[in-house]
Amino acid sequence: MPSLAKTLPQGQNQKAVLRIEDLHTWFEIRRMGFFKAGDVRALDGASFELYEGETISIVGESGCGKSTLAKTILGINHITKGSIFFEGKDLSTLDKEGWKKYRSSIGYIQQDPYGALPPFMSVQRILEEPMKINGIKDKAEQRRRIRQVLEEVKLAPIEDFLPKFPHMLSGGQQQRLVIARAMILEPRMLIADEPVSMLDASVRVEILQLLQALQRRHNLAILYITHDLSTVRYFSERIFAMYGGKIIEKSSTTGLLEKPLHPYTAALFEATSDPDAANLTSFKDVPAGEPPSLMNPPKGCRFHPRCRKIIKGLCDQEMPPEFWVREDHAAACWLYKDQV
Amino acid sequence: MSDKKVMLDVKNLKLYFRTQSGPVQAVDDVSFQLKAGHTLAVVGESGCGKTSLAKAVLRLLPRNIMTYSGSIVFDGVDIMKYDDERFRREIRWSNIASVPQASMNSLNPVVRIEDQLIEPLLIHEKISRQQARTRVAEVFEIVGLPVDFLQRYPFELSGGMRQRAIIAMALASNPKLVVLDEPSSALDLLSQANLMNVLKKIKQEINTTFILITHDIGTASELADEIAVMYAGKMVEYASAQYFYTDAHHPYSQKLMASVPTLREDKELEFIPGQPPSLINPPTGCRFAARCEKKFEKCSMQPNTTHLGNGATVQCWLFDETGEVKHA
Repeated sequence: MPSLAKTLPQGQNQKAVLRIEDLHTWFEIRRMGFFKAGDVRALDGASFELYEGETISIVGESGCGKSTLAKTILGINHITKGSIFFEGKDLSTLDKEGWKKYRSSIGYIQQDPYGALPPFMSVQRILEEPMKINGIKDKAEQRRRIRQVLEEVKLAPIEDFLPKFPHMLSGGQQQRLVIARAMILEPRMLIADEPVSMLDASVRVEILQLLQALQRRHNLAILYITHDLSTVRYFSERIFAMYGGKIIEKSSTTGLLEKPLHPYTAALFEATSDPDAANLTSFKDVPAGEPPSLMNPPKGCRFHPRCRKIIKGLCDQEMPPEFWVREDHAAACWLYKDQV
Repeated sequence: MSDKKVMLDVKNLKLYFRTQSGPVQAVDDVSFQLKAGHTLAVVGESGCGKTSLAKAVLRLLPRNIMTYSGSIVFDGVDIMKYDDERFRREIRWSNIASVPQASMNSLNPVVRIEDQLIEPLLIHEKISRQQARTRVAEVFEIVGLPVDFLQRYPFELSGGMRQRAIIAMALASNPKLVVLDEPSSALDLLSQANLMNVLKKIKQEINTTFILITHDIGTASELADEIAVMYAGKMVEYASAQYFYTDAHHPYSQKLMASVPTLREDKELEFIPGQPPSLINPPTGCRFAARCEKKFEKCSMQPNTTHLGNGATVQCWLFDETGEVKHA
């Protein structure tokens, strides 16, 4: 296998598939089903562009807003503020038909393959379902597509798999079926929400390589959501780190692995254990505490209550903007205010 | 290293379950030794029998047991000879404590943490409530939780804190051995690292012996003195962590190591094609043979356990009795 570490794509000659501007997703909390008690600011201002053939990894711990971001892009959550442009078109201008077409051009790969597959449907029906919904009625075309995606995800021999039900497949095969289903409408973009976290180590790499092969063949844009920093190096061009509903660091993969800028990203880095016997004797230097409540996020930088490098009077007062320290590396952290 | 006494000596341990389609050989002829104060990390993929091994050591067995045999010598006593009642009274919790998988979610939501933590002490140690409270407050500090959190309910604690509370519960009775089944896999990265720090501190300060069951080889290296690799019910390799991470012997261990992505170094990742065999009627020979690149004629027979020195063992025909590589 060739080295998978990649560099930043050239923005000028590549087409942005997805553009997100100042996206907010807030969930209203009601008391007694009637009185508004406040908002959970699950996603609080995100902006970026995703290019053709590129993978962006979004890393962060549970509750940081990474899945909310994915679901907002998929149209499952309502947009509170901000906008999403898909191939130049603003999603807020789409009508019902437009939404249907948009949804069919993004593939969604869920975390838990067994939970994502209907247990009472055979492999064949699972793959036919999206085509029926999206008006691909020609039987020959259906057969051609099923054959093609199953070949692409290497579920062979195809005839053996078609009548099987999800419980008859192993975890890795189930995940490949989920990928096949995401690919059957020939999408432009894939959103993979922790696609390998439920799988065994030996299967993980296989699934990631499969996604990568699909990406190359179809020039797909992939949003890869994960909490596991160690897989991103092999899989993505850019890494965004999220904390408390905000993207706090944006970087090329190589730049981030060289030196994470934000103290939170650095802590994630420190917390990741590589298999090494030397770990036995050293303690990890990670901040104590928990991520903030998203209903009442702390004033200023959301990481400041746990941060050791806090600048008193600044970090706890004002939200840091993105500082582009290098051309391909930015951090939303006041430490870098003079380095721009 | 060798002057430390052996805390746990397991020989030819077998645990088979009865099912409709035949016996499931979940733990098949497993032998190992664990020294006092050491940590053994049992690694392997799902379904390889690592949790069954923990259950066999703790004798927490389901009803459909077919075979449960072998010897488990714990602190010099063969505890397999104990009847169930004596095992419950003298061994389980008081001497071998356990932190089962996902146990942080098994705290009773309507009972305060303190009342839940003192319960095993009241049952096993016959001490007063007040003594139990003092003891629990002590271990709470060891695991790094503020003592006033004892008065809280489980939902008022975060996942990482609940897990630490459960570990405090296991440590409260001063056990000699603690079995941790995937203690950190349900936690976030930072809580996971914090928990590993806590366990490391306990290991250094109280000198508790641990068996750590995990699928995460990276995390295992945080705590393990010895590594045992399980595959399809067999313990295919047992080695000191010091050597295992750089020089694994069994082809499965090597492949497994090659499939682990690393953050700090760029390496070529590999995966293992195929699937582990069913534990109902597993192949008669080496159970990894079907997926092994190095297999040869002899692999159709079950390999013997070969001692490689430094206490390491491997079950593979590539190594002969003296530990020399026979077939390259």
